[in-house]
Amino acid sequence: MKLGFILGEVGTGLRRNLSMVVSVVLVTFISLTFVGTAALMQMQITQMKGYWYDKVQVAIYLCGEHNESSNCTEGAVTEGQRGEIESMLGSSAVKPYVDNFEYESKEQALAHFQEQFENSSMSETVTAEQLPESFRVSLVDPEKYQIIKELFSSTDGVDVVVDQRELLEKIFSIINIASFVAIGIAGVMILCAVLLVGTTIRLSAYLRRRETGIMRLVGASKSSLQLPFVLEGIIAALVGALLASGVLWAAVRFLVDEKLAIEYKDTAFISTGEVLIVAPWLILLGVVLAGVSSLVTLRRYLKV
Amino acid sequence: MIRFENVTMVYDQKSRLGSENARPGLDDVTIEIDRGDFAFLVGASGSGKSTFLRLILREIVATGGSVHVAGQNVARIPSWRVPKLRRGIGVVFQDFRLLPQKNVFENVAFAMQVVGESRSAIRDHVPQVLKLVGLEGKEKRQPDELSGGEQQRVAIARAIANKPQILLADEPTGNLDPATSVGIMNVLDRINQNGTTVLMATHDDGIVNSMRRRVVELSLGKIMRDEVAGEYTSMIPVINQDGTRELRQANHGTWQKPPAGSQAFAPFDTEDDMP
Ligand SMILES: Nc1ncnc2c1ncn2[C@@H]1O[C@H](COP(=O)(O)OP(=O)(O)OP(=O)(O)O)[C@@H](O)[C@H]1O
Ligand SMILES: [Mg+2]
Repeated sequence: MKLGFILGEVGTGLRRNLSMVVSVVLVTFISLTFVGTAALMQMQITQMKGYWYDKVQVAIYLCGEHNESSNCTEGAVTEGQRGEIESMLGSSAVKPYVDNFEYESKEQALAHFQEQFENSSMSETVTAEQLPESFRVSLVDPEKYQIIKELFSSTDGVDVVVDQRELLEKIFSIINIASFVAIGIAGVMILCAVLLVGTTIRLSAYLRRRETGIMRLVGASKSSLQLPFVLEGIIAALVGALLASGVLWAAVRFLVDEKLAIEYKDTAFISTGEVLIVAPWLILLGVVLAGVSSLVTLRRYLKV
Repeated sequence: MIRFENVTMVYDQKSRLGSENARPGLDDVTIEIDRGDFAFLVGASGSGKSTFLRLILREIVATGGSVHVAGQNVARIPSWRVPKLRRGIGVVFQDFRLLPQKNVFENVAFAMQVVGESRSAIRDHVPQVLKLVGLEGKEKRQPDELSGGEQQRVAIARAIANKPQILLADEPTGNLDPATSVGIMNVLDRINQNGTTVLMATHDDGIVNSMRRRVVELSLGKIMRDEVAGEYTSMIPVINQDGTRELRQANHGTWQKPPAGSQAFAPFDTEDDMP
């Protein structure tokens, strides 16, 4: 059987069954968009982890003038207390856990703050006095944060020990929940897509029963009988997958690249490159689902 | 070419209606049709003619006995080889079954495209076939621009486009007037003279009587008679199911053509009273 002939049959099928084909396109489009969104969110988490886990430190904030914490009852941290903390960080008990540490004064804190919130009006109203001084500690193993916390929490002159990772974990868990929701919706939509492809192929086989009846009589092989229908489902799913990829690309381009990435300069964001990694898998998923679902349908409704 | 050995076809075998309800579509039929034969299959409605033809095509599989086509037991052919069997058999129906949106040429070409013939082979062969069935110059017509007889010629052309050894026709003249039917029969006769085995189920007594070819009569799924040059009905005692006998009157058509060989053979003698 010649390719041109098969493609002609596919064209006839698509034209005659247009409204069903359009609905297959839309349902695959939406379901694959959700799948892609979930995948991109997971990639965003990975991206942020890689970027932040190196940079994130444990911050040991020292007492300022007006801290309420129980360690700070005597007012701001004294020179002696600061030296004590610094030598503790260098002691043999702590040293194995610490990669390096660094003192950050109020003035340095202000400089960092202003850098980070460059575009926001906040950076102009904040003064160095409002920001705490701190020790920034990088850990050899970030998971061992608890040890540092225990050691320093009750030390005089320490206001609070903060693991910056905790903040990130909160963000990650929100993204995670969002991506699970997306996966859930995607699952339901994919089920719809599979059932709809089946129904569409069935309707298409019904609409073309005259042709297939004749094809069967003149000795068309099983594959040449079924191929036009399978291709029909696959083409519809392919269009849906391409649409989904396009929409994801546009979303990342205009919402992430041109908005989020500019507003939050020192956060790593996924970019359109990640969409290009996800898109082929979406297309493959769409094609495989449509192919399998139409073959299964045809086994029942289009016998040789 | 085609051999039936004790073939029984019981539809709805699985239904639990009970065996007294399930009358077989064919009942213990044994017959052989040789290469190059031209045979009529006659009998009342529901006597099993279409069932007989569908068994040859392996659209259905016999529930008992075996059907052999071109030396193969069709029940034993694996399903992926069935298309190959069907490429050797052309089929024509009462309702033509043309594709309405394709023109005459495309309808015939369709059969060749389906089996993967090259474009040049199709371009060469289709006009020849159309010429054989008498449709020269009508390649570009749509089916709805043709008379019934012409549509049936297109259907015949399509059936023989892949040069099958067997041509099955299920009441091909059923929708046509007598004169048009004669034309169709001439086409089938010509195809048969080219060596194709033709098996035709029909109710058209005029045609059967005038052609004087082999006649196989079915009744309630059984073969009632098998004559080499028979008529639609014969002056023979018919034994009814309840055991009574009656004499059936031969009913002759108006079409006149000298019988090719009107010698009658077993199982029954017929009275040759063609005018
Ligand atoms: N698909 C089917 N399922 C069940 N019974 C069937 C089926 N097809 C045919 N039959 C039965 O088998 C018997 C023979 O039918 P068949 O179609 O072979 O008759 P026929 O001789 O072709 O009749 P006609 O001259 O009206 O076309 C009939 O009793 C019919 O009811
Ligand atoms: Mg019939």
